[in-house]
Amino acid sequence: MAATRRSRRMAADILTYFVLVSMSLFCIGPIAWMFLTSLKLEADIVTQTMQYIPNRITFQNYVAIWTQSSFPVLIGNSFIVTLITVIVCLATGTLAAYAFSRYTFKGRNTLMLGYLVVRMFPAVMMIIPLYVVLRSVGLIDSRIGLALAYTSFLLPLFVWMLKGFFDAAPKELESAARIDGSTRFGAMLWIVIPLARNGLVASSIFVAIAAWNEFLFALMLTTGQGSRTWPVGLQLMVGEFQLPWGVLAAGGILSILPVMLMFALVQRVMVQGLTAGAIKG
Amino acid sequence: MDTGSHLPKTGMIGELSETRYWIYLLLLPSLVIILLVIAYPTIYGMAISFREMRLTRPGLNGWVGFKHYLVMIDDPVFWVALKNTVLWVTFAVVLELGLGFIAATALNRNVPGTGIFAVLILVPYFLPNVVAGHMWALLLDPRLGVINDILVRIGILNSYKAWFADPNTALAATIFVEAWHGFPFFALLLLAGLKGIPQDLYKAAAVDGAGPIAEFRLITVPMLKSVIAAAVILRVISLVNSPDLLLILTGGGPGDATQVLSLYAFQTAYKDFNFGYASALSVVMFVILMVFAYAYIRLSKIGRE
Amino acid sequence: MQLNRRELMAGATAMALASQMGTARAAGAINYWHHFASQSEMEGLAKIISLFQAKYPGTKVTQEGIPNSEYMAKVSSAVVAGGKPDTGMVITERFADLVAMNGLVDLSARVKAWPGKSNFPDNRWKGLSQDGKIYAVPAFTFVDWMYYRADYFEQAGLSGPPKNFDEFVQAARKLTDPSKGRYAFSMRGGAGAFKYVIDVMEAFGSPIVKDGKPAIDRAAAIEAVTFYSDLFVKEKVVPPSAPNDSYRQIMEAFRTGQTAMVWHHTGSLSEISGALKQGTQFQTAPMPAGPRAQIARVAYAGNGVMKEDNIEDAWQWVSFWGEPEAAIALLEATGYFPASTAALQDPRLTSNKIYDAAVKTLDFGRLPNTFVGAAGWSENVVNPAFQSVLTGQSKPTDAVDRMIKGLDAAMR
Repeated sequence: MAATRRSRRMAADILTYFVLVSMSLFCIGPIAWMFLTSLKLEADIVTQTMQYIPNRITFQNYVAIWTQSSFPVLIGNSFIVTLITVIVCLATGTLAAYAFSRYTFKGRNTLMLGYLVVRMFPAVMMIIPLYVVLRSVGLIDSRIGLALAYTSFLLPLFVWMLKGFFDAAPKELESAARIDGSTRFGAMLWIVIPLARNGLVASSIFVAIAAWNEFLFALMLTTGQGSRTWPVGLQLMVGEFQLPWGVLAAGGILSILPVMLMFALVQRVMVQGLTAGAIKG
Repeated sequence: MDTGSHLPKTGMIGELSETRYWIYLLLLPSLVIILLVIAYPTIYGMAISFREMRLTRPGLNGWVGFKHYLVMIDDPVFWVALKNTVLWVTFAVVLELGLGFIAATALNRNVPGTGIFAVLILVPYFLPNVVAGHMWALLLDPRLGVINDILVRIGILNSYKAWFADPNTALAATIFVEAWHGFPFFALLLLAGLKGIPQDLYKAAAVDGAGPIAEFRLITVPMLKSVIAAAVILRVISLVNSPDLLLILTGGGPGDATQVLSLYAFQTAYKDFNFGYASALSVVMFVILMVFAYAYIRLSKIGRE
Repeated sequence: MQLNRRELMAGATAMALASQMGTARAAGAINYWHHFASQSEMEGLAKIISLFQAKYPGTKVTQEGIPNSEYMAKVSSAVVAGGKPDTGMVITERFADLVAMNGLVDLSARVKAWPGKSNFPDNRWKGLSQDGKIYAVPAFTFVDWMYYRADYFEQAGLSGPPKNFDEFVQAARKLTDPSKGRYAFSMRGGAGAFKYVIDVMEAFGSPIVKDGKPAIDRAAAIEAVTFYSDLFVKEKVVPPSAPNDSYRQIMEAFRTGQTAMVWHHTGSLSEISGALKQGTQFQTAPMPAGPRAQIARVAYAGNGVMKEDNIEDAWQWVSFWGEPEAAIALLEATGYFPASTAALQDPRLTSNKIYDAAVKTLDFGRLPNTFVGAAGWSENVVNPAFQSVLTGQSKPTDAVDRMIKGLDAAMR
């Protein structure tokens, strides 16, 4: 009995590793290729004989993208826009998600659908009126204005996702705190939010990634160096007559580094939170 | 008043939270932002769909009622784009949900090294659409593409294939790229959801003699229902609305093989400068999404508990 | 006179201060939208800005790059919502749309008073004016021509580049060898395909627009589309990837030696020269003639003023692009043909044989079609219609009918 359980466990572990390894390869393979491409000379990329391992290695592509695109400024802009977006979503979205998860009130479902509806109107047609709105309040071509535009369509995403996590957090602890005399606000702040912190982190990450990667609004709502974000700066490399693969690949690699770094940090927090058995209480 | 509580005091807000205005206070901040930024643009966008607005014909102006909608019925490209949108979104979401679920389940077993695998698996999602698009264009390139080279080497293909040039493979290839780029979204969400399921439930089920399939059906799926539903709905919306990836990979071609509604609206607005018709297309997309969301929420019953 | 270091520093500080004062005065600062992207283009632009800054220290130019494919989207939303730049780049294909949406300011009076005007013959202004009004100053030119692999031609026993479509097909058959992965012609079937579809239609005698009315000759157009698509469908002298091949792919096919001929214009010379040797490996030739006409475009790119606010400074900037020193600076950096005849006399052009084909083409080349809605019709109708012929989803007749119907709708 014990032996079969152990062997079944073994089999499951092997299967798990198989899945994890093959999925990692699937995910990382193309990016590894992009990395190799970023180290090649253009003549070795546009060639008839595929080079798996670069014959000659160059860092010229990284130098080119760094100098040509004023990378530090653009990445800084992206960072600030992302940060503002996440903060606004956290501050306002958490409350709304909590309300949707914990209270039944008249028009709740309609309102929830309403939040979604906001996200449904195609960006293509939102751009021009949004431009007019931002311009009239003097926020066009500014990082705050762009962040505000992002918030408008990422907030619903945040609220909906977080509501799912709040739903999953057991209600008993909250009731217990209430019986202890805690206020509703207190119970939310000190019981429910800590319980759903994985969800909070996950939802924030999605908002952050979406803001970090967004292209269309950034293109249309900003022009100057002071507010232009990284994806737009990168698309600028793609000209009418030239698309230097190596430079573009270098740009791609540079653009994931900060996100990976951030995620590696958050991931530790997340895993710790999970293994500590937050839910079991 | 919270004398008996061991929790820190929460002051005035705490007191406010005991009043009947609490719910509205919770909702107010987000509502204000959404209404401020979105309400006007949405109404404006809808209004244009009933007007003639062609930038290059400033003389044509004014209300035209349902003209654009009637034109749409006779517009073959619209119907092709609608069909492609349905295919593109359905297959992409199904693939992404499937892959995401497998990844999440594997990651949730917490075998040693999970942390590293988690980061690796999530990397595609970190790539901006712009980068992912160009990268896959290179990977699948009919001349420089390493994937073609590998497939030829292992004997699956005879010669390099131009994936995006053949109407039979173009849409499938773009769906594949989208799935690669988007499945980590599901993986991360589902992983967080799985972590939230109390282990006691599984222990209890094991005591009752439930096998893995029964556990999955009776515990995992119901517990994840609301996370899955939210993820699917959000993903569908963003897939229907964002043309960026197709814009880079195919531009809707060859022929209209990968033309979808969002791309068609984008091209109508910014290549034809026909904002009236583009708005009408957008409104149709909007209505389709509304109907879908409503039906989906109804069916999955996430609205009530 | 020799300056010591301190004096130099002082001078530099004074200049920095002066330029800062320039920015402080709103009237002295203008911005400029362009879609230059490559390193060489950006070098040329930076050179022109510094030349301009030296000549007009009171006007500060801020350049703002817009991705080329999204240029019109960005401009049109700026027109609707307010927020146009002071000046912007204008290419012939986009000119009519820009004027129609009130994106450009009439410069006729200033151009007439401008001494530099004499360097530009009348045809230079044609692509940038409408109803007798001039809206932009030409800066550089793209001249259509053909690149071909001189070495492949020699191997195939061909004496020279094809002069007409018949010779083109004959040569193409000889140059194709799928077993070696070699094809004769890089056909542009993806983004931008419309350009050559339209050119071939005109070469077969079908105009596109006449006197502001749609004027496609159905029979000639069908003949043209049949001929052109048959290169891919029947003759198979074109790589199988053609339906999704745009600029990048046709050039890469040529550069990697997959194809022996490619149609493009002078703008890509520096890129090809980077990969292949001028003269021995590749050569340039005028576009082959069709049965009815020899079609090659000479497209002038210029700069226009987009709003009135800083018109004096804006005019200084756009007209500066028409001065020989600016044109030569751009030529040196990018190899782009100047638009002014003064700059065309430059020995760098006259002594280089590779430019002969372009100089010849200047005599007979036509302006690109420019009518309101041209870009939308070309990209949203001609492209998919032609692609579906290539992929066998429809016949040339259907494609031409779709084009005619689309053109009617676009011009209505």
